[in-house]
Amino acid sequence: MLSEEKIKLMTSLAMFEKHEGKRIFPVNRYFKGDYIGSKLFQSFFNYTLSFVLCLFLWGLYYMERWLSTMDVTRLTGAGIRIGIFYGIGLLVYLSISFLIYRKRYEYAIRGGKVYLSKLKRLDKRYEGNTRPLKRTKGGRTS
Amino acid sequence: MMGLLVLKERLKGFYARFDIYVNPLIKFIFSCMAFFLMNGNIGFSSKLTEPFVPLVLALVCSFLPYGAISFLASGFMLIHLSGISLEITLVMAIFIVVVGLLYYGFQPGDSYLLVLTPLFFLLKIPYAIPLIVGLSGSIVSVIPVSCGVFIYYTLLYVKQNAGVLTNDMSVNEVQKFMQIMNSLLANKQMLLMVGAFALALLVVVIVRNLSVDYSWLIAIIAGTITQLSVIFIGDIALNVTVSVLGLLLGMLVSILISAIYTFFVFAVDYSRTEYVQFEDDDYYYYVKAVPKLTVSTPDVKVQKINATKLQRPQR
Repeated sequence: MLSEEKIKLMTSLAMFEKHEGKRIFPVNRYFKGDYIGSKLFQSFFNYTLSFVLCLFLWGLYYMERWLSTMDVTRLTGAGIRIGIFYGIGLLVYLSISFLIYRKRYEYAIRGGKVYLSKLKRLDKRYEGNTRPLKRTKGGRTS
Repeated sequence: MMGLLVLKERLKGFYARFDIYVNPLIKFIFSCMAFFLMNGNIGFSSKLTEPFVPLVLALVCSFLPYGAISFLASGFMLIHLSGISLEITLVMAIFIVVVGLLYYGFQPGDSYLLVLTPLFFLLKIPYAIPLIVGLSGSIVSVIPVSCGVFIYYTLLYVKQNAGVLTNDMSVNEVQKFMQIMNSLLANKQMLLMVGAFALALLVVVIVRNLSVDYSWLIAIIAGTITQLSVIFIGDIALNVTVSVLGLLLGMLVSILISAIYTFFVFAVDYSRTEYVQFEDDDYYYYVKAVPKLTVSTPDVKVQKINATKLQRPQR
């Protein structure tokens, strides 16, 4: 026989999985440090590759000037400046990445808890507890 | 008003019933417009200008997520650009890769804005973008909108300077590259539009989130005033020529589009606002509850009653 309560609970679970699943399940498998660490590693490569590409464009733009005034001290100075730019940019980008991924991890953990509580409610329905849901004074269901 | 609300409810019902067809159709129209407008404006690659190519691509796009559509549109644009100048193709390719890595590495899910912003520019209603994005998105959306403005002005530059860019005899590659970079980076109109859009989007997001009545409508007006102010100030300070008639017409249409968007997304009845206060162990709550404007669609059923012919019993 169909149990309307179970169907409601399962529908709610399925909806939750559909809407929030992508943001929760790939994340809450990891410890916080591992998740954020792996994402920061990815961010490091993204930033480095982007920096190299921008450097390539910048190099092309100033190529003529460089070729006409080729000088070791100037090249060293330019290299140091590039290094400083790279370092500061990397620091800023990694800080932003850290904040974003920490927030996402915390969101996923909270979502995971909600999902688990929904599952527990469903599990209770399967434990032979067939009495109908009664709404108590505080609004919580038994 | 009642008729519009009924229409809205009917549209919602229609979408709920047929969303499996409506979503691909929207994607198809979106991709079709993007591909055809690109063909019309920067159609330098003759292989892609055949009408069936954009149609087939749009058909494929109707089953893809928006991220993939943006990726395909970028590829389409780069192929067209490669037909006129390898230098500009290189600049655009690096720009797209860098944006993809640095911004879309976070998977924010708004890559369609990269296509939608140039699309609205070509439809002469670019001012709607900061208003609608500000109403629906977050402050971070400033990045894709600004990138979209850059893409549009780069394509405009290519369209206007197609003759110079194809003339390979006059300068070498490096000089040509320098010319392109100088023109792109010193494009005051582009910088002005980026500034106007970014500031307007910021204003719309902030005003929309205020706890005042009619915050969405106030946000639209504030965003419009911000855009107009920045553009007029830029017009004087940077010596940028902007067509006043086009600007005002575009603004009016943009306000109209934003108002329609607000009606469909945020229709509430401020006259029935409720203010309630309560407390728990940790907090005092001052809650403002604004009811949504909803009507039930009239369910008209026409029932035909045909009188059956009585047959007289034969004697």
